[in-house]
Parts: sequence; structure tokens; C-alpha cells
Amino acid sequence: MTDTVLPDDDALAAEYVLGALDLAERSAVQSRLKTDAGFAALVEGWQNRLAGLNDDYDVAVAPNLLPQIEARLFPKPAKPARNWLGWLAGVAVAAAVAVVFVVPQTLPPAPLVATLAADPATGAASLIYEARYSDATLTITRTAGIAAPAGSVHQLWIIAPGAAPVSLGLLDAPVLTLAYPSAPPVGWTLAVSVEPKGGSTTGAPTGPVILAAEIKV
Amino acid sequence: MTEDPIAPLLQLIAVQDRAAFRSIYSAASAKLMGVLLRILGNRAEAEDALQEVFTRVWLRADRFDAGKGRGMTWLIAMARNLAIDRLRARHDTVDDEDAMAAVADTTPRAETRLIAQGEARRINDCFATLEPDRADALRGAYLTGLSYIDLAARHGVPLNTMRTWLRRSLARLKECMES
Repeated sequence: MTDTVLPDDDALAAEYVLGALDLAERSAVQSRLKTDAGFAALVEGWQNRLAGLNDDYDVAVAPNLLPQIEARLFPKPAKPARNWLGWLAGVAVAAAVAVVFVVPQTLPPAPLVATLAADPATGAASLIYEARYSDATLTITRTAGIAAPAGSVHQLWIIAPGAAPVSLGLLDAPVLTLAYPSAPPVGWTLAVSVEPKGGSTTGAPTGPVILAAEIKV
Repeated sequence: MTEDPIAPLLQLIAVQDRAAFRSIYSAASAKLMGVLLRILGNRAEAEDALQEVFTRVWLRADRFDAGKGRGMTWLIAMARNLAIDRLRARHDTVDDEDAMAAVADTTPRAETRLIAQGEARRINDCFATLEPDRADALRGAYLTGLSYIDLAARHGVPLNTMRTWLRRSLARLKECMES
């Protein structure tokens, strides 16, 4: 048989569905899927093409987790404090899933350049940071959720396409204000990782990347 | 195409039908638990991921398009993506022994060949046309979420060689399945 070669996008779609890509590559593919219908169709094609392999997955005993799942999705008004949190988590999940960019109705201090809303995959379902830029100042505000657990810290990174993440600082307070001479370019990515107290010592994220969003406008 | 019992449930969930949501949990949770357990290799993590998968099912069911694929394929894709993302977040760039140990058996299961489902038979026929080690690498990636780094280490070849292998094998697989 001859060595046929897949077009680059089709090869990338195949590698994504196969699951061989690393975290950064997967994140890049996932953000592209939100806006590129043609590429999404290539991914669907590979999902269907490889679906025959799914028969190799055994079934496993699954506990009945419906009560927890339903409590998270459909909070009842019985226990206000707890359910309020559940509702918040649900809203945050919905926002993340629907890629809804939440723009506050009151006193927008500066144009929003990115909303880092929690990816449900991380379990940090109610965490949101907003990045705003004006007057050579980048302001990152935690608008939902809580700081990293004791002994750890959220660290902010900026990532140019194809480049390694560069640290912008530690998000150890609800607001981080940075002098930033020109507006961060559209298409670059802001990301938050969980690092040991004091931040990454390697110059690169060492803990899980829990939030990431591409810069818009 | 064979019948697709999951698709109508997803369409009902898309219009907020909670009974359909319970039905889909009964119908699919054991299979999705199998997927999550195989990739994550740990029951506590798999159970946590299962909750997340069904949360996403509720929130994203309106994106399911029965014209583009089967309901179970869509569910498994969602579960695999979540599990692989978590696996990568857990130990990205770490070349670990566990990943290798987790793929002790990647050969097709006997019952798989008995399942009278065209797509499975077809893909297995097409896998049989690939060099065995490359077919094995493809299965390892798909079924257990091995990354290129894991696969290169496991097969003792450089990363770029593994990437070239798999890209060529995927091209041949596509060609075979479309022939």
C-alpha cells in the first residue's frame, strides 16, 4: 500500500480523537473547535471512524451517582446555603459550557479582554477570573470562586500562539493589577495554573492548568 | 445504521426532560464508567469524572446531532475527552511506568469480534492491515489515552518517529475504511 498522507487539519483532528496529543495541543484544538465548523466536522468524522474501537471498552459497575448529579444540576430551595452554592456552581458550569462571556451590567471599569471561566473538567466549577485592559494596565479580577487551597496559589500565564507560557504573576489576592504597555494581542491565551505557595519555581506551569481563555478584542 | 436508543433520549434532554436524563444514566453509566476507569485507572477519579460527564450531558445535549453520529458515540467521545484532559493535567510530560502498566492488554477482545456491528468489524479488519506494533500503538492511544510521549517510550522510538508512524497509520486506516 502506498503511503497516503492526511492533510494537516485532518491529521490533527485524528490525533485529537485518538487522544495522543499533549495538554497544550488539546487545549488549542478545543478552542479551535468552538469557532471552526469545518475543523469540527473533521473531528466528528474521526469520532465516527474510530467508534468501532469503543466495543473494546468493558462495562464497569457504576454507583448510582444520580442524586449528586441532580443536586448539582437541579437545586431545590430547601437548604438555602448549600443549594445556593450548588446553583452558583451550576451557573458557572453552564457559563463555561456555553462559552457565555459574562459582562457585568454595572460600572464596567475597562474593556473585557478575556473571561477565564472554570472548565468543569477541573472540578473548580465556580471559579471565574476576568481580564480587563485599559490605559496600559491589565487587571485580573476573581469574580467568582475562592483562592487556591492553603499551601498553593493560582498563577497567571500568558501564552503566545506556539510559544511557551510566560508568568504574569500570582493571583493571591482577588485583584491583580499589572503594568502592561500594549494591549495583549487577540488570539493569545491567558491561563491559570495551581502552583505551590510562592509560585512555580521552574518558570513554567508545574501544576494543573485549571482555567484558560483566548484573548478577544 | 443500527438502531440508536440513546439518540432520542439526548433529544429529550435537550428540551430539559429529566426523566430522559434518568433513563440515559441507566442506559449509559456502566459503559461510560468502563471508559473512564480504563483511561483514569482509578475508581475514585472515574466516579468523579462520571458525575462531570453526566453534568455535561445535561448541559450540552442540544449540541447532539443525530445526523452526524450515534448517541453512544457522542457520549463516549465526551467521556474520553474529559478523561484524557484529566489524565494530561495529572501527569503531562511525565514519562511514567503506570501508563505502560495500564495497557497490559490492548488486543481486541474475543467478544468484540462477535458483536454484529458493521463499524467494529470494519475497523478491526482495517487494523489488521497495519503493522502490528503500529496498530497496537493506535489502540493504546485510543483506549487508554496514551500520549505520543507515552507511546514513544513504550515502543522505544523517538517522539517524531511515533508521530509519523501514527499519522501514516491513520491515513491508511481512513483509506481502508472508505474503500
